[in-house]
Amino acid sequence: MKKKTNKIRMRETLVSYCFLAPVLIFFVVFVLAPMVMGFITSFFNYTMTDFEFVGLDNYVRMFQDEVFLKSLRNTLIIVVGSVPIVVIFALYVASQTYERSAFTRSFFRCVFFLPVVTGTVAVTVVWKWIYDPLSGILNYTLKMTNVIDQNISWLGDKRYALVAIIAILLTTAIGQPIILYIAAMGNIDKSLVEAARVDGATEFQVFWKIKWPSLLPTTLYIVVITTINSFQCFSLIQLLTNGGPNYSTTTIMYYLYEKAFKLSEYGYANTMGVFLAALIGLISFAQFKLLGNDVEY
Amino acid sequence: MKKKLLSAALVGAMVASLAGATTVMAEEKTEITWWAFPTYTQENADDAVGTWEQKIIDAFEAEHPDITVKLETIDFQSGPEKITTAIEAGTMADVLFDAPGRIITYGKAGKLAPLDDMFTDEFVKDVNNDALLSACKAGETPYMYPISSAPFYMAFNKAMLEDAGVLDKVKDGWTTDDFVEVLKALKDKGYNPGSFFCNGQGGDQGPRAFFTNLYSSSITDEGVTKYTTDDENSVKAMELIKSLIDEGCLMNGSQFDGSADIQNFANGQTSFTILWSPAQPGTQAALLESSGVDYVEVPFPSDDGVPALEYLVNGFCVFDNGDDAKIEASKEFIRFMCDDEEWGPKDVIRTGSFPVRTSFGDLYEDERMETLGSWTKYYSPYYNTIDGFAEMRTLWFPMCQAVSNGDTEPKEALTEFTEKANETITKTAK
Amino acid sequence: MRKKKITPFQVFTMIILSLLTIFFIFPFYWIMTGAFKSQADAIKIPPQWWPESPTLENFQKLLVQNPAGSWMLNSILIALITMLLVCITSALAGYVLAKKRFYGQAILFSIFIGAMALPKQVILVPLVRIISFMGIHDTLAAVILPLIGWPFGVFLMKQFSENIPTELLESAKIDGCNELKIFTSIAFPIVKPGFAALAIFTFINTWNDYFMQLVMLSSREKLTISLGVATLQAEMATNYGLIMAGAALAAVPIVTVFLVFQKFFTQGITMGAVKG
Repeated sequence: MKKKTNKIRMRETLVSYCFLAPVLIFFVVFVLAPMVMGFITSFFNYTMTDFEFVGLDNYVRMFQDEVFLKSLRNTLIIVVGSVPIVVIFALYVASQTYERSAFTRSFFRCVFFLPVVTGTVAVTVVWKWIYDPLSGILNYTLKMTNVIDQNISWLGDKRYALVAIIAILLTTAIGQPIILYIAAMGNIDKSLVEAARVDGATEFQVFWKIKWPSLLPTTLYIVVITTINSFQCFSLIQLLTNGGPNYSTTTIMYYLYEKAFKLSEYGYANTMGVFLAALIGLISFAQFKLLGNDVEY
Repeated sequence: MKKKLLSAALVGAMVASLAGATTVMAEEKTEITWWAFPTYTQENADDAVGTWEQKIIDAFEAEHPDITVKLETIDFQSGPEKITTAIEAGTMADVLFDAPGRIITYGKAGKLAPLDDMFTDEFVKDVNNDALLSACKAGETPYMYPISSAPFYMAFNKAMLEDAGVLDKVKDGWTTDDFVEVLKALKDKGYNPGSFFCNGQGGDQGPRAFFTNLYSSSITDEGVTKYTTDDENSVKAMELIKSLIDEGCLMNGSQFDGSADIQNFANGQTSFTILWSPAQPGTQAALLESSGVDYVEVPFPSDDGVPALEYLVNGFCVFDNGDDAKIEASKEFIRFMCDDEEWGPKDVIRTGSFPVRTSFGDLYEDERMETLGSWTKYYSPYYNTIDGFAEMRTLWFPMCQAVSNGDTEPKEALTEFTEKANETITKTAK
Repeated sequence: MRKKKITPFQVFTMIILSLLTIFFIFPFYWIMTGAFKSQADAIKIPPQWWPESPTLENFQKLLVQNPAGSWMLNSILIALITMLLVCITSALAGYVLAKKRFYGQAILFSIFIGAMALPKQVILVPLVRIISFMGIHDTLAAVILPLIGWPFGVFLMKQFSENIPTELLESAKIDGCNELKIFTSIAFPIVKPGFAALAIFTFINTWNDYFMQLVMLSSREKLTISLGVATLQAEMATNYGLIMAGAALAAVPIVTVFLVFQKFFTQGITMGAVKG
């Protein structure tokens, strides 16, 4: 009897791998293999001219590299700054719109998703213009309304540069969470909500006791994807500031790119890549553990 | 070789399936690729990037039917990264039109074909300029075949100077004090100043030359063996720059690179730029025309009134892609562009600079170019071929940004920069 | 029924939502109007809220002086081919991951999930090596192929495939259908909405995937529209009219696709998030 199940299982396995083959080939060649190669070469002094094994040297160097530490700090600021804002903001917009007419819902979905579909490059270049110290509309508007009296170099002044970048990042990061929350709120059992209201619960209590628990899985997902996306912040930096002023907008991703493609320090760049992957993995795991405990599924 | 083996094993299967697609091409014609930064000025303001380049290719192909040249234009911002990637990927072009800064780095990394056979006695004698020729070499090996050179200097908006009543101050032989006075006058009239730009590689020689002239300091020592940007005069210059920024006489340039700053100037948005060269009026013709900006060209101000100008050298290098036929064809193409009796001089004119070959004589025959040509007497030692130059540049921008933003005091910033920059020399030379 | 009465909180919400709407729509508006401003008008202070002398000059320059036509074509080709390949391979893989029990299933699925969190940029340098080893650097294939192995699609299609009733598959098997037939005639019709969602999703993501394009493409005429706009931005930093015209070309097709297929797209996003 056992033998027979095994036989069926073997057959199923064979069939399954045939179905999986197309994806697997691409996955192995273009994702897994580079991953392994990246990991291996992170232990090498690998540049345009050299290729020699150096053990943990790159890793030691990384933690002594001031610029790397700055870029780590900036990356964390972007993550810590954007994730809560995205969650709270998306929750707020979704809760204010999901009970309205289908048209209104659809309208706000489109509005907040517009920057996402407009595309990173298009959004970035238009913001560059808006921020332009001389011909940008932001300085003009602020001057007209007497908020400032001197042109501000939004991307060149270290007090504003990172914030200016995060502001753009937020406009592109918020569309998807709003859609998710609107969908998730639509799934909340309406009779429960009504019953609670009849019993005299305040709106806050309704939200906290009934809605929030059922929104937790969605929140978890949003937190994880927003974290991952914020960690990968690159094109904004590359197109707007080149990491300046004085490294105040250099992210790990940008620094990695600069090391690899401007200075050909491939081994060192891969070391940072490995570190970044490990960090993202660890944080996603922790988020699952922390928030996941409350999720009843 | 390990990395090759590794990738070989991993992609073996894929390659097998693609092998059919990559059959060898018929080898009658030699095809070479030419990557060009937008260094040429086009003949008409409306001509697209690469129009002139294509024209000279057509002329060359007519004379050499056995060679085809494929043109790729790249920009100063992402171009350098593209080159590095392409070198690593093994897809680099055969010919590159650039300046020694990057070319010599590639040469030192062993990626270029030596050009000994092009540096003939006749050529060396005709150029007759040791400093310039050695700028094209790594050690004794020539890697760049120069075609033209020109100084960097600065430019002011003429109408704005007139309006501020300081036009007469801005002239060859002016001093740092004159300069500060001019800037203050312009500021009082409410004009936006030019910037001490330091966002990226494009045109970063300008701010460095501006900085060294203010108090006659220098980036490196005479023999170009180490950086000397932490001496007393350098600190004084950086302090002046910082105070000018604080007073609103000079713009914090952390957000701009050279091309953005120049365009702000050509647009009529700013009153001056610290990077200008003989070719710029051609390059920016469309902007200057639509904004109606008239410019005044002047060497950088210095404390003693004697400027030391940096200069650019335009030239070609040949990448060693392991195919002798392509290397030969590339050299032939370069000879045509630089030395051909008809096309050589024409080509020099389109670079908007002065020929390196003395035998070409005065190609421009106008007053402006004559004046600019006379500034060659101000040329300072050429340091862009120093070991670790590329890495030094990545340190230069953050240092300037730190000073401009008031993160670090000029003295401290320069000391740290110089120390790190000197480390790049030893590190790369090793 | 609660009484409809306007609370201060609702007024506050109205104001906030209106402000946000402006904040989110304005950049798009600025692109679309900027595209029709001449260089001189674009940098004018005070700015022109509406192009006072609209011009097509920017588009002309894009198409005549720059190969914007090829850039568009490349973007479309890349997005379409990637979309097709991702959908097919993911549908096959998602189906067996959801509906079959086989050796290595759990491990394989966790590897996929793990790789989903992996930032693409991390594997960049080795990926460039592999691509150049295969001799396809600076071709459209260099952008397309690496995207197919990306496991998000597999995950999404697995979610959708969970809906296929197992009894249907069983009875088809008893009727003697072969595995491929079962997939095409029974499984596929059921997961079709998911297929559509994944298609739109992939199309939009690929269109906007600046990073992969940046590293893999270099020749001017092989660029995509996103890269092309980035290049223009580097070459002509302050010619905002021209840059906006490029941005408009890059944005309009994809915004249109989104508006038309909004339903599928929303579905795709939502399905990806629901826990299996």
